[in-house]
Amino acid sequence: MSDLNMDAPWRMAWLGAKQIVSGEVVFVGIGAPCQAAMLARRMGNDNMTMIFESGVIGANPNEMPLSTGSPTVAKGAAMITDMLGVFALLQRGGIDLGILSGAEVDAAGNLNSTVIGPYDQPKLRLPGSGGAHDIALLARRVMILMPHDPKRFVSKVDFITSPGHGAHSGRAGLGAGPAVLVTTRAVFAFHDARPVLLAHFDDLTTEEATQGIGWDIAVSPDLQRLPVPNPSVAALIQSFSGELQ
Amino acid sequence: MFGPTSGPNKLVSLPEAVAHHVHDGDLVFVGGFGQGVPFAAGREVIRQGRRDLTLCRTGADILFDILVAAGCACRVKFGWYGNPGIGLSHVLRRAVADGSLTVEETSNFGLLLGLHAARLGVPFLPARILLDGDVPAHAAGTSQVKCPFTGETLSAVAAIRPDVALIHAQQADAAGNVQLWGIKGDTVEGAEASRRVICTVERIVSSDVIAQSPSDTVLSASMVSAVALAPMGAYPSYVEGFYGRDDAAYRAFEALSRKPNLLADYIKTTVHDPASHEEFVAAMQAEGHRHV
Repeated sequence: MSDLNMDAPWRMAWLGAKQIVSGEVVFVGIGAPCQAAMLARRMGNDNMTMIFESGVIGANPNEMPLSTGSPTVAKGAAMITDMLGVFALLQRGGIDLGILSGAEVDAAGNLNSTVIGPYDQPKLRLPGSGGAHDIALLARRVMILMPHDPKRFVSKVDFITSPGHGAHSGRAGLGAGPAVLVTTRAVFAFHDARPVLLAHFDDLTTEEATQGIGWDIAVSPDLQRLPVPNPSVAALIQSFSGELQ
Repeated sequence: MFGPTSGPNKLVSLPEAVAHHVHDGDLVFVGGFGQGVPFAAGREVIRQGRRDLTLCRTGADILFDILVAAGCACRVKFGWYGNPGIGLSHVLRRAVADGSLTVEETSNFGLLLGLHAARLGVPFLPARILLDGDVPAHAAGTSQVKCPFTGETLSAVAAIRPDVALIHAQQADAAGNVQLWGIKGDTVEGAEASRRVICTVERIVSSDVIAQSPSDTVLSASMVSAVALAPMGAYPSYVEGFYGRDDAAYRAFEALSRKPNLLADYIKTTVHDPASHEEFVAAMQAEGHRHV
């Protein structure tokens, strides 16, 4: 069960936005990933390039789109190519950061957005990979956004849609696996395919930052306690998020 | 003065286009990506009672739901299938639960490469995806190949050659030169991969208009089987320069598609009650719909 104050979605957007480095070329999906990227831009990261799978490069949407092909994604963009153009860029190593989410994540950073339960008799049939599998394998760096909802943090995902660290066999992909996992409470890295708590908001304890998550989590010796941003940040996020906030 | 092409007239009515080019059992590529989803053509496929279709595209939206719920499809091939930005497909959920639909899913890039292979006229393409995780085991037409030059292992994605593509664009001439601008996604990839292409358009223009902006032409006449005039033919998706996306209609579909009886009512009133696309548009206008 999430705590409404500790787990307001804008907190994850803010933590995620801070992870986007100036100048990065970022492959963005719909929902929380788009929200974090749009916030980063509005927090002064003017040099990032937002890319959507619909073929839009250098996007700067003025409101959260429902579809990667929505009019607001096209409006004011630097370039509209086709879908092959952006996936080609991804496969040849031109994407610095891919931002992913999903229904479930495990301690190795594997993401499931396909089915909950057995594949043939699922408890819940989800929309499937989309570009997530491709981004997980091919982006130089991957950031996972997952609200602090303990039932989403499982020991083993029911279906590995987007491979994390554990699933990399003879991988031909370019990426090194998920670099960072951001929740509504905290920021984690993966060291030797295991999660390490790097930082959490200073309005909660270190215990609360990982409360209910049944993983074996190491705590970084350089653990950071991050000040909760000014309420104007929440208002800023609300101004472009429509019903998603 | 001669126009940019000579060649046979491809301009037909939408019912004629579907009657001649969409057959029971076909593998059908459904175009559009946010923009230009060919709803009018899809509704006509339902009116004509096509059966046992396999529907194919990267990111499938609610037109898949409508075609599947109307009984036209027995199989779906996709990278993603849901209601964009809103949630999962209740039609897919129910069809998977009762076993009435065969699902062949891959990633968006995987599906796109299958179409691209067909566009290039080669049987497969190598790629750096679909080697890890659980997607490859469920992705039809996925194998592995050793590069003859470097020796590295890559995935091999088999060509996907649809029988027919349904696409929607801003304009075309009667010869079938199609102009589409704005977001295209995988529309051109899928059309060029297909044996036949049906293109609905917002307006028919002269060949001279086509020749004034040839860089907007995405398919030349020889690649297109039929052109049909269908203004508002992508509604409730959008067409740049013509009408916006009706996000509210997509949200309403989320609620009504939860209940099979409500979805059946929706298909009756939007597909079967209007005898044609023109009647559908007139009915929407009579309701005072803001986008139409």
